[in-house]
Amino acid sequence: MIDQIKTKAKELLKTKKVDIVIGYKKASDRIGAIPAFIDKEGDIDKLIWDGYCVYNLSNYLKDFPGKKIGIVTKGCDAKSMTVLLQENQLKREDIFIIGIECSGIVDEKRKGGDIAYDERCKGCKPATPPIYDVLIKEEEKKQAPRLEQDPYESVRKLETKSIEEKFKFWQDEFSRCIRCYACRQICPLCYCPRCVAEQTQPAWFSKAVSVEGNFSWNVNRAMHLAGRCIDCGECERACPAGIPLRDINKKIEKDVKELFSYEAGVDTEQKPLFSSFDKNDPEDFIK
Amino acid sequence: MQRLITKQDLVNKLTELLKDFEVVGPKELSNKGIFYQVIEDAKELYLGQDFAIEPIKKFFLEPSSWILRHAKDDVSLESFPQSDKKRIVIGARPCEAKGLALLDKLFDSEYKDDFYINNRKRTIVVGLACAKPDMSCFCTSMQGSPAETSGMDALIFESGDGFIIELVTDKAKHILGSIGEDIKEDQKLNKDKMKALVKKVIKTPESLDKVFESDYWDEVSRPCISCGVCTFLCPTCHCFDLVDEEKKRMRCYDGCSFPDFTLEASGVNPRPTKKERYRQRVFHKFDYFKKNFGENLCVGCGRCIRHCPVKIDIADIVDKAPI
Amino acid sequence: MSEWEPKIVGFLCNWCSYAGADLAGTSRLEYPPNIRIIRLPCSGRVNPLFILKCLSNGADGVLISGCHIGDCHYSEGNFYARRRFAVLKKLLEYLGIDPRRFQMSWVSASEGDKWARLVTELVEEIKQAGPNKDFVRKND
Repeated sequence: MIDQIKTKAKELLKTKKVDIVIGYKKASDRIGAIPAFIDKEGDIDKLIWDGYCVYNLSNYLKDFPGKKIGIVTKGCDAKSMTVLLQENQLKREDIFIIGIECSGIVDEKRKGGDIAYDERCKGCKPATPPIYDVLIKEEEKKQAPRLEQDPYESVRKLETKSIEEKFKFWQDEFSRCIRCYACRQICPLCYCPRCVAEQTQPAWFSKAVSVEGNFSWNVNRAMHLAGRCIDCGECERACPAGIPLRDINKKIEKDVKELFSYEAGVDTEQKPLFSSFDKNDPEDFIK
Repeated sequence: MQRLITKQDLVNKLTELLKDFEVVGPKELSNKGIFYQVIEDAKELYLGQDFAIEPIKKFFLEPSSWILRHAKDDVSLESFPQSDKKRIVIGARPCEAKGLALLDKLFDSEYKDDFYINNRKRTIVVGLACAKPDMSCFCTSMQGSPAETSGMDALIFESGDGFIIELVTDKAKHILGSIGEDIKEDQKLNKDKMKALVKKVIKTPESLDKVFESDYWDEVSRPCISCGVCTFLCPTCHCFDLVDEEKKRMRCYDGCSFPDFTLEASGVNPRPTKKERYRQRVFHKFDYFKKNFGENLCVGCGRCIRHCPVKIDIADIVDKAPI
Repeated sequence: MSEWEPKIVGFLCNWCSYAGADLAGTSRLEYPPNIRIIRLPCSGRVNPLFILKCLSNGADGVLISGCHIGDCHYSEGNFYARRRFAVLKKLLEYLGIDPRRFQMSWVSASEGDKWARLVTELVEEIKQAGPNKDFVRKND
């Protein structure tokens, strides 16, 4: 499989079809992976592919304006590119998607070192990217265990709690937030040139690490991703404090599906959720 | 001075100290990891070998703290009152305590930072020696070791079922000197042996001047996503921002990896790309600070490597810098 | 200490709800004075951040009011608002903010009586919810 990726990358660079190939290479610890940016044919042998290639590389597309980019892409990563295309943040002709039929990635935070598939892979249905220019398939079928479980199980569990319990739960979780903004920076869809968190006039929420500041930041982040988040799970992985951010994103994903039958990242022609409406949108909450 | 103590001795002593002291120590939160928190019951304390995610720094240089406010007359300004409650920090690692020793050089030298100094003065730091450094640890390359005592008042070592406690300062001897029993000569620890536990060893150049303009920084900073994990979790990073909110002034952590860290009011940003920003982080730690204070501003705790969302390894980057 | 009275912020669209509130006034209808009105061009102008800022700065409740569907001065502003706040309302509830604290209504320029009734009910509900203590900037 990695040979096919290398061959394709070599061909793309040789024919000058792309200026740079974004993929994965071994990290310094010799186990994990780190994003690789290959612009010379000689470096192609650094490329790797295994379960530790966890990052959503589409986050780096904005770093190379005006360049043609070849990018190694898992199923979920391609969905975020779909959203970027919807929102005119990318030109389709500028990117060459080396799609990978992903067989699931490793849960890095899991202790003990045994290889386990990440929580986020369990609900993932299309392992095949929705958009690609070339598709590279896994030779043996060693797909991640696709559990038949409800993808919204943890959301539903929380929903049934009382208001006080919910507040207590989230207050505990958010109290560990250190406002490092790793959740924002790792997100391929958080591309605003200036985030509201950095605005000072007006300062929309307190910069202090406090109940109010942390709460507002996390609500705001989630709202900005409503109908856009494709659940690649990178925010939760990046969070050093272990806040279950996916439970917030998935809550919105679930609501949006139920209320508006809308799903993010499936079609490049689809209009963004909040830039469109339906005359019959539910309004039972309005007096 | 070393003494032998049992786990029960320690718990009893802490329970006693809880009356007069605020006790801070590592707590294990299920599925989240280890966090330093204020302890209300000595039994909550986690004294295992896993590392806390945030360093102990946050109790000395707080993530955000109020420093100034309008006085009652609404015209003049006054300092925020500071707590003088006595504190005892237990379970801090040698690298984190060494971080405090480095911060002392900065905040308690020519420039005196009242808030930091107050927090330092009211606290006794009791460390816990590392028996299991992980593969990101490189303290021995930063003049530290798993049993280093700089920045600490006392250090405890795991030893069989109990601990050996080494009392470094008079403050610690006064408070903790009464527990346990004297240690026999043959039970004393061989600290040099512990150094060998740290497997990651790097070399740091005397000066990085020559490589300032190198393309190397462009290459190594590319994976960086400009978040604040490395700076916020670093035991020595100390840059802060001042923010005015509702007639009060606050200082909160800031980091050189953020794009708007050096953004000027005119709109000019002297460090416009990741290259300049990442280089700044490396230079501050391994060049500028060394020139000013004679030591690297890094303790080799490995937090920035362990928690970097994209696995950037600063030790590896410094080690391989094309000097 | 006198009995606690809730503070409510109302974001009203210029064309319908604001005029409706005005009509309630000129018709001399009585309703509790707990609401502070901010006039906006359209309910579609309201950003979720406005709600968070109000709640964190001590408001006990927030109301967004706009034109009935189909009546928007800008044709579609309230359609967008409806989608946006359907999501926010559910999210806030999920995160433990009392759903009574954030409400939405359609009040036309001729519905002065509806406005007066709505605010009366709203104040009553928020009185039951009690003061907003959890999610407020602490002042020390």
